[in-house]
Amino acid sequence: MRSEPEIRSALRTYVSRHAGDVAFTDQTALFSVRVLRSIHLPELIMLLERLRGAPIDVEQLRIGDFDSIDAMLTRFGGPHA
Amino acid sequence: MSVLAAALAEVAPTADRLSRLSQRAYQNPYAVDWPSTVEPEADWFGSPEYVSLFGTPAWSELDEKGRRRLAFHEAAGFYSLNIHGEKSLMQGLAARLYRSDLTEFTGYLHHFLDEENKHSVYFGGFCTRYARVHRARQLAFTADRPRDVADFLFFAQTMIFEEIVDHYNRVQARDRRLHPLARFINDSHHRDEARHLAFGRQLVGALWAAGAPWPQEAEIRADLDRFFTITWRDFYHPDVYADAGIADPWEVADAAWSAPAQRAHRRRVSDKCLRVLTAAGVLTEEPTDAF
Repeated sequence: MRSEPEIRSALRTYVSRHAGDVAFTDQTALFSVRVLRSIHLPELIMLLERLRGAPIDVEQLRIGDFDSIDAMLTRFGGPHA
Repeated sequence: MSVLAAALAEVAPTADRLSRLSQRAYQNPYAVDWPSTVEPEADWFGSPEYVSLFGTPAWSELDEKGRRRLAFHEAAGFYSLNIHGEKSLMQGLAARLYRSDLTEFTGYLHHFLDEENKHSVYFGGFCTRYARVHRARQLAFTADRPRDVADFLFFAQTMIFEEIVDHYNRVQARDRRLHPLARFINDSHHRDEARHLAFGRQLVGALWAAGAPWPQEAEIRADLDRFFTITWRDFYHPDVYADAGIADPWEVADAAWSAPAQRAHRRRVSDKCLRVLTAAGVLTEEPTDAF
């Protein structure tokens, strides 16, 4: 499993690929400002699985889990998160 | 009139013909003679050239038994992704049954829904008897879209998914190296999918034309681009690799996804679907990240 700074850095890189000219922080509500949309979720889940080295049960997910980079770190930051 | 109703009116003769063919091809999915056990290391359950590690260093490192074992678990993975894809498809079809603007087109939607359910009976029958149903890795929280856009994306994504899996079904149904059960499941799926795809190709073209010019054209194209990529990513399933006894399954999945042989494979399998979407004017370039 990667460290929290490594996961945070990888998420920032992923988000920046889709943000275009939109500025964002780790607290930005990425779906509200449409930097990310639901079509990005499967790819994001795969990225998070790889970074934390553990599967994610998609049946337990809520849209709020992906609200921001901080929210993703809180929800998926560890193998048992 | 909705864009979908207009498009369905245009393809009504095809839908009527396919409905008649569906009635003639009606199958009982509970009449399968399931073997009591199978031997994953003795028989091929998937064509080796269609195993997701084929042409990668990880494939070279496997012995013959290991390759067959991987092909077996990958067959369960392939059937699982079909189950999850068909769940979404059945939900979308059920939501459109007897919709007020579509009532006269309900006949073929009933066949479509019935046949998708039967496919899942076959796929689930294999996975629950001999392996497991692998977890879904896709989800889509409901997006708030205009109905015409949602209709178009539903049928376009259905066509993309079915074109890709049907290629696998077609090849594996004919592959005499495969265990007869694997050939049967692939063949059964392919026979129905051939009708669904004939319908889907016409409908997607008609839908796109009926709604043109689409104010959301760029967003629709971007969504289909992403859909291509996430559909293909599901073929590289870490849980499948773990079940086959392969270490570092996430790393192996990433390496296989990026391997030149696999990128070429995805492009080749997607070719027909891309040509349909390009000819209809839906896509103007190939998906950015899928290949």
